[in-house]
Amino acid sequence: MDLMPIFEFMQNSALSGYLRTSLKAMPIVEAIHVMAIATVFGTIVLVDLRLLGLPNVQRSFGKLHHELVQWTWIAFGIAVITGVLLLMVNAVTYHRNTAFWLKMIAMGLAGLNMLVFELVTAKSVSKWDKGVAPPLAARTAGALSIILWISVIVFGRWIGFTKGYDFSIPEDVQFDFSVPQ
Amino acid sequence: MFEFAEWLGTTPLSVAIQSTLWVTPTLQTIHILMIAVVFTIVLVLALRVLGRVRADEPLVEIYARFAPWFWSALCVMFVTGLVLSIGEPIRETHALSFWIKMSLIVVGIVTSTIFGRTVRAAAAPDGHVYSGRARAMAVVTVAMWLFIIFLGRAIAYDVEVWGSWHLG
Repeated sequence: MDLMPIFEFMQNSALSGYLRTSLKAMPIVEAIHVMAIATVFGTIVLVDLRLLGLPNVQRSFGKLHHELVQWTWIAFGIAVITGVLLLMVNAVTYHRNTAFWLKMIAMGLAGLNMLVFELVTAKSVSKWDKGVAPPLAARTAGALSIILWISVIVFGRWIGFTKGYDFSIPEDVQFDFSVPQ
Repeated sequence: MFEFAEWLGTTPLSVAIQSTLWVTPTLQTIHILMIAVVFTIVLVLALRVLGRVRADEPLVEIYARFAPWFWSALCVMFVTGLVLSIGEPIRETHALSFWIKMSLIVVGIVTSTIFGRTVRAAAAPDGHVYSGRARAMAVVTVAMWLFIIFLGRAIAYDVEVWGSWHLG
């Protein structure tokens, strides 16, 4: 499935043009993206550590999950919005960036892990909510989540270092490579 | 200061950091992960003051559990930040964002220390409802740390963000 037309459409859009030429827009979008991912990762790690039974199983998992995950989702929403804006500005360059695709895959797997946990493992939460070591499925979900979200952040940073620059030459420009006298 | 930065940029350590491809992204990644630790702890403690999380647990107990991680993460950030700055001394010292960020981090360290002492001294039980002033401070603190995150990203865009206030 060739996604290039979608990426080209994003990059050629008016919004993308505005973001690209605006002096302050991208720094602000990027900064908000960092704030959002810090919150996503930090809150989800607290939930994942509890799934791993760390630091202890004294506190109710359900309560902790309920109180924190709402913040994870709010922050994730902001991260997705800012992420799409970041993507739009240089979409074509991201399309050929390996780190970008690895990041998307890692996020997809993190989402899948969460889905499996919510639909399957969490059904039995009343049995291990408090004072009991979480079952293997819960511990696995917690460990996978931490590993996957760290990967998302690692790949995210690598995009910035491997994105390269778009030096496409406009069609009406003629280069003169003749040797100066 | 600028001359010191220029000289620093020519030292073997700085050149090694600049020319070894994986160093800066790896240090930045660790720095970002630590941002998540520090900011989330600030956020959770602020939410506790606002009565939005773990209201059934005394703030002093929550603080005691998180404090070592907060200070450890800040130490890791200091080290990674230092090495990152040694690798790009001119960019950092010329950035107004960098100097405001460092100043606010000092403010953050002072206010966090005062917060810790106040919480331990008060040792309020669970169910205690915090005053309007305490709640306002909680919100201001979160906003301050968010601004520090913004400034960290703005270092790379200092001219665009601050215009003529950019140094040099």
